[in-house]
Amino acid sequence: MRKQRVRDRAAPPTLERPGVAWAVPGLLFFLVFAVAPMVGVLYLSFTHWDGLNPPQFTGMENWSRFFGDSQVWQSTVVTGALLIGNIVVQAPVSILLGVWAAGPQRNRAVLSALFFLPLLLSTAATAVMWRQLLDPNFGLPSKFEWLFGSDPMGTQQGAIACLVLVTTWQFVPFHSLLYQGAARAIPHTLYQAASIDGAGRVRQFVHITLPQLRNTMITSTIFMVVGGLTAFDIVLLLTNGGPGTDTSILPFSMYQTAFRTYDYGYASAIASFLLLLATAASVLLTKLSGYDKMTSTMEGL
Amino acid sequence: MNSVSRRWFLTATAATTLSVTVAGCGSSGSSTSSPTGNVDFWTLQDPTNSVQKAAVDTFNSAGKGKVSMTVIATDGYKDKLRTAMGSAKMPGVFFSWGGGSLNDYVTAGKLVTLDTALESHFLPSALAAGKVGGKLVGIPCRGTQPVFLFYNKKLFADAGVQPPTTYAELQNLVKVFKGKGITPFALAGNASSSWTELMWVEYLVDRLAGPKLFDKIQGGDWSQWKDPAILKTAQMIKELVDSGAFGKKFGSVNYGAGGTSTLLNKGKAAMVLMGSWEYATQLAEAPDFAKNGLGYVAFPSVEGGKGDAANVVGNPTNYLSVTTSAAKQTATDFLQTTYSDSYVQGLVEKGEVPVTSNAAQYLTKAADPAYAKFQYDLVQKAPSFTQSWDQALGLTLGTPLLTEIQKLFNGQSSPEQFVSAVLAIKK
Amino acid sequence: MRTRPNYLAGAATLVWLLIIGVPLYALVNTAVQPQTTYTDKGPVSIPDTVTLDNFRTVLDSGFLQYIWNTVVVAVATVAIVLALAVPISYAVVRGRGWLTKGVFRLFLLGLAIPSQAVIIPLFLIINNLGFYDTLWGIILPTAAFALPVSVLVLSGGMRDISNELYEAMALDGASPARTLLTLVVPMSKSAIATTCVFTALQAWNGFLFPLIMTQSNDNKVVTLGLYNFVSEYGSNVPALLAAVLMSAVPILVVYLFARRALVAGLMGAGGK
Repeated sequence: MRKQRVRDRAAPPTLERPGVAWAVPGLLFFLVFAVAPMVGVLYLSFTHWDGLNPPQFTGMENWSRFFGDSQVWQSTVVTGALLIGNIVVQAPVSILLGVWAAGPQRNRAVLSALFFLPLLLSTAATAVMWRQLLDPNFGLPSKFEWLFGSDPMGTQQGAIACLVLVTTWQFVPFHSLLYQGAARAIPHTLYQAASIDGAGRVRQFVHITLPQLRNTMITSTIFMVVGGLTAFDIVLLLTNGGPGTDTSILPFSMYQTAFRTYDYGYASAIASFLLLLATAASVLLTKLSGYDKMTSTMEGL
Repeated sequence: MNSVSRRWFLTATAATTLSVTVAGCGSSGSSTSSPTGNVDFWTLQDPTNSVQKAAVDTFNSAGKGKVSMTVIATDGYKDKLRTAMGSAKMPGVFFSWGGGSLNDYVTAGKLVTLDTALESHFLPSALAAGKVGGKLVGIPCRGTQPVFLFYNKKLFADAGVQPPTTYAELQNLVKVFKGKGITPFALAGNASSSWTELMWVEYLVDRLAGPKLFDKIQGGDWSQWKDPAILKTAQMIKELVDSGAFGKKFGSVNYGAGGTSTLLNKGKAAMVLMGSWEYATQLAEAPDFAKNGLGYVAFPSVEGGKGDAANVVGNPTNYLSVTTSAAKQTATDFLQTTYSDSYVQGLVEKGEVPVTSNAAQYLTKAADPAYAKFQYDLVQKAPSFTQSWDQALGLTLGTPLLTEIQKLFNGQSSPEQFVSAVLAIKK
Repeated sequence: MRTRPNYLAGAATLVWLLIIGVPLYALVNTAVQPQTTYTDKGPVSIPDTVTLDNFRTVLDSGFLQYIWNTVVVAVATVAIVLALAVPISYAVVRGRGWLTKGVFRLFLLGLAIPSQAVIIPLFLIINNLGFYDTLWGIILPTAAFALPVSVLVLSGGMRDISNELYEAMALDGASPARTLLTLVVPMSKSAIATTCVFTALQAWNGFLFPLIMTQSNDNKVVTLGLYNFVSEYGSNVPALLAAVLMSAVPILVVYLFARRALVAGLMGAGGK
């Protein structure tokens, strides 16, 4: 009898599956407010527009200027340098902090609460705070010159270092939370087995903890990359792209060209380039992380 | 799903996207309002806002229409204004620096030409930057803001020196103060404050070559940057920086926020080259210093220069302009407040030196009559008053120029590189 | 089990504590000093005079309005994102056919897209829709750009619901809608919490959109308010830093009342 029932229920009723209609509202919304502007940026990059008069089609003019513009190349390099600097500094600190915070000791909970504090401030608030704190005459550098140097934002290296410092200060608490959550989920049995085998703390960390954190490392890196490509307010408030144009990352360069030089067409070319880089980054990251395979991480556990 | 509906879906998506984009890229129309409707008035944030507010309140209570005042902070005022002027929500009356900043708006047909009868109420030299192509589009609404040297009287007395009257004396003072561990000149070298560095360039060029050089540049002859006076100015600036005239930290110092003004009143810097509004800033931050310790003197002459040492650089004044979206009658009536007795008096009380024809009589009643008289005389006797270059040129040329000046001061560009980079700004 | 105390970890923690603590101390220290004396002893000293005037100054300038606006933006953005992303994720995870796979790919593509890159045409669109200088001009684009991450997180959470449970609902004859409401949503609570937290933080930190899309004082959000304070209180550094402190209050409130949810929400994205 049972076998018969199973055969009767051969095809699952199609009502069970949500159809296209479920995705349509969100899709439309995304199209209007995200995809359409992306198309718009590409379109505008072929025009000359000053914000007051209607845009005029100028063909490849912006793009030929773009490919000969050393400033664009410099902006890309600076964007990359900041991105790498941030990842190199933040990843180790976040992992170590996160794993440490996942431990059971009491004092760790108290300190963790303290370490959470920077997250209370928005990125703009942090940038404003550090703008004051980094004043060479009345801020921290005046008392700690051995650490900050006398003119922290007057050189390119100094300015980049300051940006990395502020970003690290702001975001390590966030990333370490990611690692903390993941580290807590690592089964103790793994560590116990390793202890019995005679593995010391460092070996346990390298051979157990790190591999288990792989997924988190990917997620964390994705956030850092996205953050690096959009970090605009920090640059605006702290260095204004300076000294000169030394910290003019691509988003800032685009903003400057658009809203301070009123050359929206050329700015759109820069923006299109930024879009291209970001899409490439998206594709790369999703391939690396295997997110597009849509398999659950719980399977097989 | 069969292939037909798939095609339909993709087409629909593309169509939606494209139509939204195209609709978005179309120009927006502005609404016309009744002549006696409300007027939106945008102004820059600074100490004279209370005077403006009083004028607005008085006007509103007279019942000839309503004006609502919006105060916008300095950082981003021009961006905001520009964005708004391109949108459907233009202000009716707005504050500006005149000159190049109004050019674009006039070309786009957004401004209303003002009645020439208004001109009789103001000093002629002040009206110049309010005219574009011979048409009056802005009338003065503030005092004049020449740029000159401020200094810390106590530091000078302690060092036994006098403020400089020649460039050679200035260079000597740099040595004197450096020897005492005091930064000779406070300078806001951070990238957001490059306009403070611009002032040095403006004066040196004027002293070396006279005002005609920049006149030609402003008039459209960009090749004038090749003039040897420009290169000499860049070299003089490099000398100043290298000799430690601005200290070693200026690249990280901001204007305002614990920056140059604080350095001056705390005695860490001896002098600063700044516009006349510095007085009001000091008054707010360190009132004692402003009243007793702050000295001021004109920018020194430069030996061998063709420019008259009495020439002045700065903001001739600020202007109010009326846009096409304003309720015309209300706006025009409101403009009359700019030369009303109470308004002029209010400005004088704030330390401003108004450029109205009735200003002189009020100056004796200024909070600091000596300071007011100093500015008034300075401007009145000046054979020429060059407008700040970034205002005169408009931001499209001004923003890159400021970046190049910053690089020069930071030592990132040599004087020669500076000249070629500036030339490259406009093809 | 480790019995030896970890000296290295202890030392490193101390260093990090200083890195976090010293700037925060300097922040509070300066905010409670009067404008005329705050430079006297440097940022890490003990102040001679303490005052609360700066906070009063900040409040007087309409700061509360900015905080309110930001809260409105955050709540509205989260509401829109949930309303849109939950159905999409559901369709992506449980749906069949090319469309749902394609939709997922589309959102993945949008993962790293910086919203700033499209600000110019976005301004035009918002302007022509009549949303310029309204909070909607901020809410709508922010929600749109928060969709990719939200879809990613939500679909990750929904995937973990085992097939048997879905089949049980099918046996009951449940429609997709009922399945969504009675099975999927309750079982994806942590993913939903994560989405809420991320989206709210995104809205809270928003800077460029408010900068371009709003102009009048009434519509300012906190990040813009602070930006203005930089020039407004140019010389009044203590007031500026008092404003920075006050801008942290809303999140502090959330932290105090919903700490577990907040922290769990933030941690939630790590495991996947």
